[in-house]
Amino acid sequence: MSISLPTYTRREMPLLGRQQRVRAIITTGLRREFKRIGALVVIGMGVAITLITSIVLVLFAPIFLPGEQLDLSFFYIPAGNTTILFFVTLIASVVGSGLIADDLNSMALTLYLSRPITQADYLIAKAAILAPLITMIAVLPLVLTPLVAALLGLFSWAIAVEAMGVSVLIGFLFTAFYTAVTLFLSSLTRRRSYAAAGVFAVTFGLTIPAEILANQLTNSTILYVSPWEDYLAVARAAFGVQGGPALDWPWALAILLAAIVLASFVTYIRMKAVEVVSG
Amino acid sequence: MNGVVEAAGVSKWYGEVLGLNLFTATFGPGITGLVGPNGAGKSTLFKLLIGQLRADQGHVRLLGENPWNNVPLKRRLGYCPEHNQLYGWLSGQQFVESLLRLDGMPTDQAAKAAADALEVVGLTNAAHRATRTYSRGMRQRAKLAQALAHDPELLILDEPLSGADPMARVQILRTISEFAKDGGHVLMSTHVLYEIERITNNIVLIHNGKAIASGDIHAIRLLIDEHPHAVRLETPQPRQLAQALARMEHVVSLEISAEDALLVRTRKPDAFYRELPAIVADTKLEVRGLESPDDSLDAVFRYLVG
Repeated sequence: MSISLPTYTRREMPLLGRQQRVRAIITTGLRREFKRIGALVVIGMGVAITLITSIVLVLFAPIFLPGEQLDLSFFYIPAGNTTILFFVTLIASVVGSGLIADDLNSMALTLYLSRPITQADYLIAKAAILAPLITMIAVLPLVLTPLVAALLGLFSWAIAVEAMGVSVLIGFLFTAFYTAVTLFLSSLTRRRSYAAAGVFAVTFGLTIPAEILANQLTNSTILYVSPWEDYLAVARAAFGVQGGPALDWPWALAILLAAIVLASFVTYIRMKAVEVVSG
Repeated sequence: MNGVVEAAGVSKWYGEVLGLNLFTATFGPGITGLVGPNGAGKSTLFKLLIGQLRADQGHVRLLGENPWNNVPLKRRLGYCPEHNQLYGWLSGQQFVESLLRLDGMPTDQAAKAAADALEVVGLTNAAHRATRTYSRGMRQRAKLAQALAHDPELLILDEPLSGADPMARVQILRTISEFAKDGGHVLMSTHVLYEIERITNNIVLIHNGKAIASGDIHAIRLLIDEHPHAVRLETPQPRQLAQALARMEHVVSLEISAEDALLVRTRKPDAFYRELPAIVADTKLEVRGLESPDDSLDAVFRYLVG
């Protein structure tokens, strides 16, 4: 058998950078999600219901919530709207759970990683597919509600703009948490249903038992295990709301940030070490 | 060592299962066939070569470089995986184009390169159909197109003929030959020795994770020709096809193994593979795919390794 070095020379072609290569994964991923009826229904319903309930709360606040102060703290109400939690969980389950698991199962990951992209590129692209869809529930309604309220003259523009700024910050925090955790769960399995179940377990499996136990034991520190309660604690502080469960917002924020960093780091390490064995 | 592909004492374990066992071989320029039954370690070797598996022992070099996590090296490779990995909702054109964009090719050039590659593999007419509607042969050709489209130096093809119909096989083999004639290198796995001999004389036989023989195909052929070779044909008309194939003198037996499958045993596999496309075309019978069951190759390998 010959052992000479190859003399073949390639035709030169202009190659775009990393950003464009990542964008190519995002484009393919988003194109896929927007072709799935289930994903479209969940996203559409989620945006519509969270937006409508938030705006209805604002419009009818004087009737439903007599005595509620019409200042920045008022906008904690749409931020604490439980439909946000429900639909963020649903989108993370329907869309996010399959982002990595499906590629592992179909072995599309083999094709992706046979191209000049890194595992980090792949993960960034997957996060960039999921995060905008979650922000449509976690950020968009929170930003539109003060805008509508200001347009209707119910609040001053100064309060509305401040509320929009705070909403963006806490909405992105919630988005980052669910994006990181969902991708982490999706990277652990080849079955999207397992990852989806994991997302529901993180949301409701932690929140509901934590609330029941906290009530039974009259010990609010148990609520720290619930990401939703941590988010609410941060939101209460951000909107200047008094009262609510006695959770310290810095601890709640630290827990959420730690979960985001840890989930992202572990997912990266896992993808870096994953050896595409099948086939 | 300075071959296109070099493997020296490579071992890979999956838990307690040994995928490769001190595999040592050097693959030179041009086309090299890696022949072995399923489970022999062909796919494991390929995953090591494209940097998606890491050797537990020994080392591999590809075009002079270590492939593990070597992103720039991937630009120089075209990889065609064995199993169906197409996103079914993408058209052939979109499938190849999206992968080309992962290579960093600008959108307009990716579209053109994808169309060109699909033309090379004979899929132009189906380029805008969803790949889930493709036959297995068409899928294999689409995967070959994505491997070729970015003009790589080396093609690594994992069972590219698996399940392909006779016409698709001809097209795939022709495409691979043309690529090599243009100066490219090809490493192709198969468990059908007789197919690869149409395009190369260089083969490496792999069995139980070890390279058991390498070199000129004809010497190896002499050793194994006396063993009848089995071919399973997927067809909705197994009886009519059996009648047509019964005229071949070298066919030893014909067995309708399922409602849509015919198992043929032949003493001259090379003649069988050569004559089959013409018989299918003349009789206008539909053959959706053909495969060589592993048992016949296993018998050959058992014979070779004593």
